[in-house]
Amino acid sequence: MGKTIVIQPVTRIEGHAKVTIHLDDTGNVNQARVNVIELRGFERFCVGRPVEDMPRITPRICGVCPWSHHLAAAKACDAVFGVEPPPAGAKLRELCNSIAYMEEHILHFYFLAGADFLLGPDADYSVRNVIGVLQAAPEVARRVVRVRHMCAKMLEILAGKAIHPQAAVPGGFSKPLAKEERDQLRHMADEALELARFSIAFAKENVFPKYLDVVKSLGVITSGFIGTVRENGALNLYDGKLRLMASDGSYDDFPYDRYTEYIGEHIESWSYLKFPYAKKRGGFSLEDNAPGLYRANTLARINVCDFIDTPLAQAELEEFRQKFGRPAQLTLLYHWARLIELLYNAENAIRLLHDPDVTSLETRVKVTPRAARGVGCTEAPRGTLIHDYTTDAEGMITNMNLIVGTTHNNAPINLSVTQAAKSLIHDGKYDQGVLNRVEMAIRAYDPCLSCATHRLDGKMSVKLDIFDATGGLLDSFAN
Amino acid sequence: MPTHEFALPEFCSKPVLILAIGNVFFGDDGFGCALAEFLETHFDVPGSVCLLDAGTGVRKLLFTLCLSPVRPRRLLIMDAVDFGREPGEWFEIDPSEIPVVKLDDFSMHQLPTSNMLRELQQQTGVEVRVLACQTGPLPTEIRPGLSEPVRRAVREAAAWVAREYFDAAAVAAR
Repeated sequence: MGKTIVIQPVTRIEGHAKVTIHLDDTGNVNQARVNVIELRGFERFCVGRPVEDMPRITPRICGVCPWSHHLAAAKACDAVFGVEPPPAGAKLRELCNSIAYMEEHILHFYFLAGADFLLGPDADYSVRNVIGVLQAAPEVARRVVRVRHMCAKMLEILAGKAIHPQAAVPGGFSKPLAKEERDQLRHMADEALELARFSIAFAKENVFPKYLDVVKSLGVITSGFIGTVRENGALNLYDGKLRLMASDGSYDDFPYDRYTEYIGEHIESWSYLKFPYAKKRGGFSLEDNAPGLYRANTLARINVCDFIDTPLAQAELEEFRQKFGRPAQLTLLYHWARLIELLYNAENAIRLLHDPDVTSLETRVKVTPRAARGVGCTEAPRGTLIHDYTTDAEGMITNMNLIVGTTHNNAPINLSVTQAAKSLIHDGKYDQGVLNRVEMAIRAYDPCLSCATHRLDGKMSVKLDIFDATGGLLDSFAN
Repeated sequence: MPTHEFALPEFCSKPVLILAIGNVFFGDDGFGCALAEFLETHFDVPGSVCLLDAGTGVRKLLFTLCLSPVRPRRLLIMDAVDFGREPGEWFEIDPSEIPVVKLDDFSMHQLPTSNMLRELQQQTGVEVRVLACQTGPLPTEIRPGLSEPVRRAVREAAAWVAREYFDAAAVAAR
């Protein structure tokens, strides 16, 4: 009789997920699913509210990517009101985005993925945690704590607060940057760049070579990719156009507000998370290398951009592409791409802090309510984030659609887990290290599931279904 | 070596850390935040105590605490829960006493927060306590403001926090 293995909760990701693996009668993997069980419902919550509330409300969707939601909401408001922020307003927003990115990417590499790489995926579960990272690499941990705290202080200087930001407003940014503050921030950005350079050098010397066999084999699938690029094809994480690339490297570019022409959303009964797909390239399919399948997040952005317009990150991108080609498909390369982005964001922050526009007092323009639809899009650390608002003549929200970063990766995460499970579990045999490698395949995507799900009742359901090899339900538990 | 003063955040360096958690847009889920505000406005918070409203962003602070070479001796988490008790009932939870099956249900805005509290308590020696308040039904739309039972609980719980943490800090400082 087949057996179902359940990993719940998946450790060290944001949000709740259950991994269900179905074995056949021979003890080999028949199917694996990542069931998202976290619930939210923000799209419905916001209908009927003033659209200018969205940059204040949406950062509290889950507290993990507050700046991404804050900025996407502000951009959607700009579009609804039909305005463009002045250069200082746009650049201050982008500067906050780069700093928030640094904090997030440092958190992921050193805290979430760190236990895998610094302690090893086969390390005992009791040490494979954040405290274990500190004990294994105390000097690195101290430096990481310092720089993350420094990033939070930078955001406080720029925006008044780091948690639950409010400084981006419809039409721009509420607080000009004083020259004395700018000078203080320059020193801090320089230190962040040092850690970024250290991080990628450390990883290339001590991490990736050691785990190259895992990188080349774990969770590997073939897909297209989505990300944001400037008009000239350069990587940009705050603004630009969307590029949806197929697995052969061909692509479509389109402005944000036409995303519904290119991205469809499919729903499966076993997950609260939607399944976006590239609808012009094919219908939805949960098959590897399906024409409509695409991924978001760091590896996707590195793949779709033609180049990076900061020198150190561009040099890293060139080295990366020499090794892995374009588009690179190996799932664990998300970690490498994340460090390239960390470097880019540090360089970008320094570049913006040397831009004379950033201390201009003209940071916002006036806005007037109108009946309109507006789409705001940024690249959240976890993927392309789309806020789509429709308002009435009073500026009240009448309809809202969100596609959050992790949602784009729903199908790919499921495929990577299936691939990982099939390659690691044979004849019914597995141990903790093997199960953690399956989780590693998920963690590479840095998923945040808490804002990616949409249901109204707010309850969290936890259910374990056990199926035999014929698909018959053997038992069902719920709490 | 950089000379600016961002070596350690206060929430790592002060002996006592009190973290308020919650989403103020959803009724009683804002209990922790309301309690923090009440403590700030009705009590003298000792200098050795760091009282922070972390909102829905507590995990980033806990990650930093886990990695920091310096940590508080005592950590108190203040949050709303749904344990099926009477709305407004407030009680203490020891992270080590949370049944494994409940670690997922005990949502302080998602894992791995609960795991990190246990790890802090068991592996670093930080005294970790959780002050929880049973909510009434949470709204299905954005509706700030506490229900009457939970509002009463704020005042009572604040007195307990002050006795356990503010008075104790004053004693320790002598």
